Amino acid sequence: MDIILCIKQVPDVTEADLKIDREEKSIIRDDLEMVINEWDNYAVEEAVRLKEKHGGKITVITLGDEESEDVLRRALAMGADQAIRIDEEGFENSDPRGIALGLYHIIKELDFDLILTGAQSSDIGWGQVGVRLAEMLNIPYATLAMGIEVVDGKIIVKRELESNTFEKVELDLPALVTVQTGINEPRYVSIMGIRRVRKLKIEEKDIDELGISEDEVGEKGSIIESIRLMFPPEGEGAEILQGSLDEICEKLAQIIREKGGLY
Amino acid sequence: MIPQREIFWHISYKGLFYLLAFMSISVFFYGLVRHISVWRAGLRKQKIIFLWGAVKRVFLEGILAGRILRGDLNAGIMHLFIFWGFFLLFLGTLVLAFDHWIFHFLFGTCYLLFSLCLEIAGLILAVGLIWAFVRRYVKKVKRLENKKEDLLLLLWLAIIVVTGFLLEGMRISAQSPSWGIFSFLGFFLRDLFPKHVALDMYPFFWWLHALLSLSFVAAIPFTKMFHVIASPISIYIKDQPAFIIPAEQKQAGQFSYKELIQIDACTKCGRCVEMCPSTSVGEPFAPRDVISALRNQIYFRKDINLPSKLIWYCTTCGACLEVCPVYVPPFEIIRELRSKQIEDGTEVPALMIQTLERLYKYNNPWVSTKKKRADWAKGLDIVDITKQDEKELLCYFVGCTTSYDIRAQEIAKSFSKILKYCDVKFGIFGKKEPCCGDIARRVGEDGLFEEQADLCLDLFQEYGIKEVVVSSPHCLYTMKNEYPCLREEIQNISFFHYSQILEKLIKEKNLVFKKLNMRVTYHDPCYLGRHNKIFDAPRNVIKAIPGVKLVEMEHFRENSLCCGGGGGRMWQEELDIEVRMSERRIMEACDTGAEVLITCCPLCLIMLEDARKSKELENTIKVMDLNEFVLMALKT
Ligand code: SF4
Ligand code: SF4
Repeated sequence: MDIILCIKQVPDVTEADLKIDREEKSIIRDDLEMVINEWDNYAVEEAVRLKEKHGGKITVITLGDEESEDVLRRALAMGADQAIRIDEEGFENSDPRGIALGLYHIIKELDFDLILTGAQSSDIGWGQVGVRLAEMLNIPYATLAMGIEVVDGKIIVKRELESNTFEKVELDLPALVTVQTGINEPRYVSIMGIRRVRKLKIEEKDIDELGISEDEVGEKGSIIESIRLMFPPEGEGAEILQGSLDEICEKLAQIIREKGGLY
Repeated sequence: MIPQREIFWHISYKGLFYLLAFMSISVFFYGLVRHISVWRAGLRKQKIIFLWGAVKRVFLEGILAGRILRGDLNAGIMHLFIFWGFFLLFLGTLVLAFDHWIFHFLFGTCYLLFSLCLEIAGLILAVGLIWAFVRRYVKKVKRLENKKEDLLLLLWLAIIVVTGFLLEGMRISAQSPSWGIFSFLGFFLRDLFPKHVALDMYPFFWWLHALLSLSFVAAIPFTKMFHVIASPISIYIKDQPAFIIPAEQKQAGQFSYKELIQIDACTKCGRCVEMCPSTSVGEPFAPRDVISALRNQIYFRKDINLPSKLIWYCTTCGACLEVCPVYVPPFEIIRELRSKQIEDGTEVPALMIQTLERLYKYNNPWVSTKKKRADWAKGLDIVDITKQDEKELLCYFVGCTTSYDIRAQEIAKSFSKILKYCDVKFGIFGKKEPCCGDIARRVGEDGLFEEQADLCLDLFQEYGIKEVVVSSPHCLYTMKNEYPCLREEIQNISFFHYSQILEKLIKEKNLVFKKLNMRVTYHDPCYLGRHNKIFDAPRNVIKAIPGVKLVEMEHFRENSLCCGGGGGRMWQEELDIEVRMSERRIMEACDTGAEVLITCCPLCLIMLEDARKSKELENTIKVMDLNEFVLMALKT
């Protein structure tokens, strides 16, 4: 089973003090470390597990600057076989359609049985690239996968719905599936693992090679315009707890208990 | 008639005996070669150097069994009996062969003495064996695991000894030599066998005795008896220079020759199991089981099914090595097993994955930012070495836990205050300080360890650091023992733990303390005590404060109990356990009636502080770092 993986690099904001730039369009990324998008990490693991079970090869694709080769190498270390980077130039500030278009132009030339992407990205979070790509390729797709099984040349995808319910759907191959976090436990990628794939060649494509014109993608080609990025206004109900560390913790625990956060 | 013994008396088919002997020795050597070839595979990159001290140790601890005696007198004497009985009888056989083939000297007084010696040896062995039976099956000593092999070997030896004595009895009955009394046991047994019975039965027992003895020799390399060969070697190689094969040049999980011999030397005595803090709080882990499973896998190609989770229990506290008669370090071997799991990646505990990824990106296992590393130093006016030109500063390497954990930050704050009070010129690396790499090393992430260590080493070299003081005994261990394996140039850097600096300052600066009327106890952190052999410095510091009475807990110094935070355990999900190691420790501290439990390691501080809270001992005992305690005594 040949799998194509579309993944992306995002800034790690877990414990960062975020700042928004002057144009109020994006966060300032200078001090932020870049990591693989969490959902994509699960997608890579899922692809590697499918490969381990059913054979085939994995091609991993990202759209980004040179630094984003890190996530490709990471995927290679986890078990992907080849990697392609679409250079970001020309794609800056694309909306999801623009990104999907870039991916589409590469993938339409490739042989594959399954495309996996993360269900969404942690930085922009539209959750659209996957499904738009499937539409462009005109193949069936399923979102929010919590399990993928291959049965008789088809796949059965277990989808996560609200309130802990699941739905199973069957798709003909080739198909596209967007992966939800928690579908598996992604493996650890050791430093030696990454060093071992350091020398593997990463194929590069730019916008011209893909035959996309500059008006189709990027800010110009976007059908969505981002107006403003902002922090939520300081809410009225916010209460700052006072006292020693122990007292603060005690109060906090009490509040959580009162509001039913502890069972 | 001159007292002597006719070899092969009353025995036909001598040729058959020689054939069997030849086969037995061949099998023995075949087995031996198999072991050695495994060791050699691990040897490629290292050399064994000759050390006089090691020879002495093999003699004192191996042959005279001094180490076993010290640990457990009862078991030690038993072992001594079996070993010397066995050894003398073995020597006796060699002497007989020499006498028969090369130079006949065993006659007259010489023979009588020889005969008496062997008799005593046999008796000693018999006593040792009975003792062993009693320990295993009557007293049921807990640390011994009773497998089929253990019983089989004991019975095997026992039958050899019994048949040996019976044979003697028969021979004396048949020959009635006037010197029979020199084989006193046989002499007493002679009445069991009337002469004709003795003559009839003798060949049968002789062959039984011969067959069992020969097959026992052949079995040595294939059973735990092989420790008679591997243990002395393991004792010899104990202090061969530390060696780290660069991660690039080895396969993960590949053992060094040292580890291979150590695994081979394990006698399954279970002393490590008795001491292991994980086993003793009821976790499903026992170091001996890991080692003996590995031994079966490596040397006898038996499949082992160690649950993959098992190797994450070890805190690398080193208590096992302290008592192991043959110096097996299970934690080093487990480290290697972990490195295999790290490379495979699929079975690493989830929280550990997060920790390592954070360590990789942010150079610390705690928080996803490098920026806040020196936040503890705000307002304390501490020199940042990377931002000034002065050389010859004492470099204070704060360490990750001390930098980021709110409780542990007190160590850094109070230590800095003491240094300032004493006018010591010192500086820190501030935000640039990386992790020392200890956690990565302990959990087997060797690539990451090398990366972090390189960052540290680069800093030391770039700023011409000559003296480093660390907060964490874990940093101390890795810097002192493992860094020199990575870069030889750093051998002129001296590394200290703060307790050593405090001890020195108290001496040199004649610090005056106010009187504290307090009863305190001291917890030896595993990495400060057992791993770095620093036991006295902190105690001397405590004792320098007037009025303070230092009382020891049940477990102290080499015998100290692990707090449960080392070896990466701090960064793992709670493994499903009932009692926590730290809770066991704090209860022990309470038993001394001390008001304050003093410790010298950020991890111990956090673990014990937590245990104090979970056991609701807030009003009973305080947990303090040595620096906090000293600072309290300094304040006027
Ligand atoms: S490792 Fe050492 S202490 Fe543990 S069972 Fe083996 S020989 Fe005994
Ligand atoms: S190092 Fe400590 S925890 Fe690990 S096996 Fe030895 S005694 Fe047990």
